[in-house]
Amino acid sequence: MDKILRIDVGAKGGPKATAVPVGDYAGLGGRAMTSAIISKEVPPLCHPLGADNKLVIAPGLLSGTASAMSGRISVGCKSPLTGGIKEANSGGQASQVLARLGYSAIVLEGKPKSDDLYKVFVNKDGVRISADNSLRMLTNYDLVAKMKAEYGEKMCCISIGPAGEMKMGAATVAFTDMELRPTRHAGRGGVGAVMGAKNIKVIVLDDTGMAMRPPKDPEKFKDANKRFVDGLKKHPVTGQGLPAYGTNVLTNILNEVGGYPTYNFKQGRFDGAAAISGETLAETEKKRGANPTHGCHRGCVIQCSGTYNDKDGHFLTKQPEYETVWAHGGNCGISDMDKIAMMDFLDDNYGIDTIEMGATIAVAMEAGLAKFGDADAAISFIHEVGKGTDLGRILGNGAALTGKAFGVERVPVVKGQAMPAYDPRAVQGIGVTYATSPMGADHTAGYAVTANVLKVGGDVNALKPEGQVELSRNLQIATAAIDSTGMCLFIAFAVLDQPDTFQALLDLLNAFYGLNLTGDGVTDLGKMVLKMERDFNKAAGFTPQHDRLPSYFKTEKFAPHNVTFEVKDEDLDKVFNW
Amino acid sequence: MLAIPHLDFIVAKPLLSEFFLLLQQGVLIRCRVSCSVAAFLREELRAGEDTIAKIQSIFLDGKAVDDIETALIKDGSVLALSAAMPGLVGATLRRGGAYSSFRNAITYHEKAETCSVKEGYVRIKIFNLLMAEMGPCLLQRGVSLKAEDLLSFMAGLSQDFWKGCRRTEFDNKPVDLRILQNSLTAGDEILLSVSSAQAEA
Ligand code: SF4
Repeated sequence: MDKILRIDVGAKGGPKATAVPVGDYAGLGGRAMTSAIISKEVPPLCHPLGADNKLVIAPGLLSGTASAMSGRISVGCKSPLTGGIKEANSGGQASQVLARLGYSAIVLEGKPKSDDLYKVFVNKDGVRISADNSLRMLTNYDLVAKMKAEYGEKMCCISIGPAGEMKMGAATVAFTDMELRPTRHAGRGGVGAVMGAKNIKVIVLDDTGMAMRPPKDPEKFKDANKRFVDGLKKHPVTGQGLPAYGTNVLTNILNEVGGYPTYNFKQGRFDGAAAISGETLAETEKKRGANPTHGCHRGCVIQCSGTYNDKDGHFLTKQPEYETVWAHGGNCGISDMDKIAMMDFLDDNYGIDTIEMGATIAVAMEAGLAKFGDADAAISFIHEVGKGTDLGRILGNGAALTGKAFGVERVPVVKGQAMPAYDPRAVQGIGVTYATSPMGADHTAGYAVTANVLKVGGDVNALKPEGQVELSRNLQIATAAIDSTGMCLFIAFAVLDQPDTFQALLDLLNAFYGLNLTGDGVTDLGKMVLKMERDFNKAAGFTPQHDRLPSYFKTEKFAPHNVTFEVKDEDLDKVFNW
Repeated sequence: MLAIPHLDFIVAKPLLSEFFLLLQQGVLIRCRVSCSVAAFLREELRAGEDTIAKIQSIFLDGKAVDDIETALIKDGSVLALSAAMPGLVGATLRRGGAYSSFRNAITYHEKAETCSVKEGYVRIKIFNLLMAEMGPCLLQRGVSLKAEDLLSFMAGLSQDFWKGCRRTEFDNKPVDLRILQNSLTAGDEILLSVSSAQAEA
């Protein structure tokens, strides 16, 4: 991974690819790489869809190696949805393949000179870019089928659907999984719109003839990987809970505790929760001959994903994640799992973020465009987006725009991005992260529950009121660091409870690169990433007032516990004081 | 007090799991109350220390419990039990976890000083991995359900289930469930117990 593939889409005669040495960005991966390039090379005040913005796709530090869990990929840009810096993270095969091809990143830059749509093919022999207007407005599944026919089965795709071509704020970048289905998405922040603005429809990667990346110290690396995998397997969350039920296992407990945002964040319990819980989902999958335990990329040993079959036993979509089931389910008052799975498929096919889309549909329902619980209306809204009708153009640009267009006050967004599936009035510490993350409302921004192992900023007394602020800070630092390794964030559960598993992770990095990284080094990496991101946002015009939840969270009581968001503004402003 | 009609299933062991999804919605049990959650788990649900260690999140009346020795079970309580869950929220909802301050607003604080009622109904919900761990014992003990919930549950049972169902008895007499279905009225309370053919032997 000693080179960066830069594709100037505005070059004379069509996009031109140049492989350049990694240079100043050496030693960076994943989110650290995307945020470093964006903060250094993109003018913060540029238009997200203009010539100056760049789309950076970066595998993690350990991607392409034999390390377990190392195949997550980061996509970064200035976000068309938030106007700030963005890193969206995905599974799929591309991270491993891109790393094995020797690239630390692909950077799409410049402004196209024509309306032609391009496909990019990368293999061991180099890069071929060709105009192909027959791909225009193809959905992700149709596009991948076409690429398969053209390039065979030993490749993987990075693509956009119609939403990306239409440069919508909810558009994703899709990544194919092990079965060559476009089921994995860098979903948040409209990264697909930036790829669409560069007129690149698909990047096809083929690593035939390339070997796995070799570690500096193979013996130590092998030993560390074994300890790491053993740690993941013996932990009840990563070894049992996630494989058995996937992330949707959270539905029942969030609902029970009254923190499950229902009917566009009006209340914390949904009567239909049991019908769409992870437990019910896994049972349905088994009965229909689908697979409730499956990885999103090769090398995943946790396998929180799965497949979902329709009533006749045919593949419909991958196992929808908790956030998707919530966004299209309880948040819209829908308890029909088959319809929710259909929406998951449609989102993937058109290339739309499931969280943003579900939140947007709920806002549209609040506006009276359909009744809560009307699954067929929700499905038709997604088709409107895919077809690019006038209504679809509004919905496809997210909850904030939809709220404005239809005069809705209750719009659950921060920095223009929809909140995920945890109400910040019930779980207030998560509200701190929603408010202050440079990414906009994002549950994964403070997801890596490693803070008490890393002891970032010393021991935190969680029972002090300011403990929530300190914890949120530490979580955001730890998350930024893990996002930079290319490791799936779900490793964090085992790392939290088992310091030896955390040590195994450090040993993996050290054995691979010949380093002596400690917990402090990981902390410094996370802080560096967050500082770059905060600085970018500041220069883009963000102020402390952008680090706030919508005001109704402070005034509207949230049933059943009738709570409001109580963290003070001045405490939110302290999150990044370290 | 009138005796509640009871329906007993005796099924092949692998089929017990068909009943687990009932547990996520909640079932009522008649039991001793005015005791701590810890005592309730040990004595009423017959959970061993290994199982209690696996119960990482406990919700009493919809609030997250940190201390199972002080939180009290009362007549009408709703107790929900979960194994360790993923995500920051999973960590936040763990009993006594490092992130418990994140959910101060929904943490259970015991207010009752004493409670004279000794017996009552408690609604139990069992989620995720604990279904297989605690479900068989609870189902064998017997749980109360509304007739309409029981009927809608039975309507969803697969062909395989009926093939593996060894015996059904209603008030200790063998019963044809198709006939029983017609004689139950919405609102009736039924005591359901399920045991595996192996356990019976
Ligand atoms: S645990 Fe889940 S999200 Fe993480 S790499 Fe595996 S399948 Fe993908």
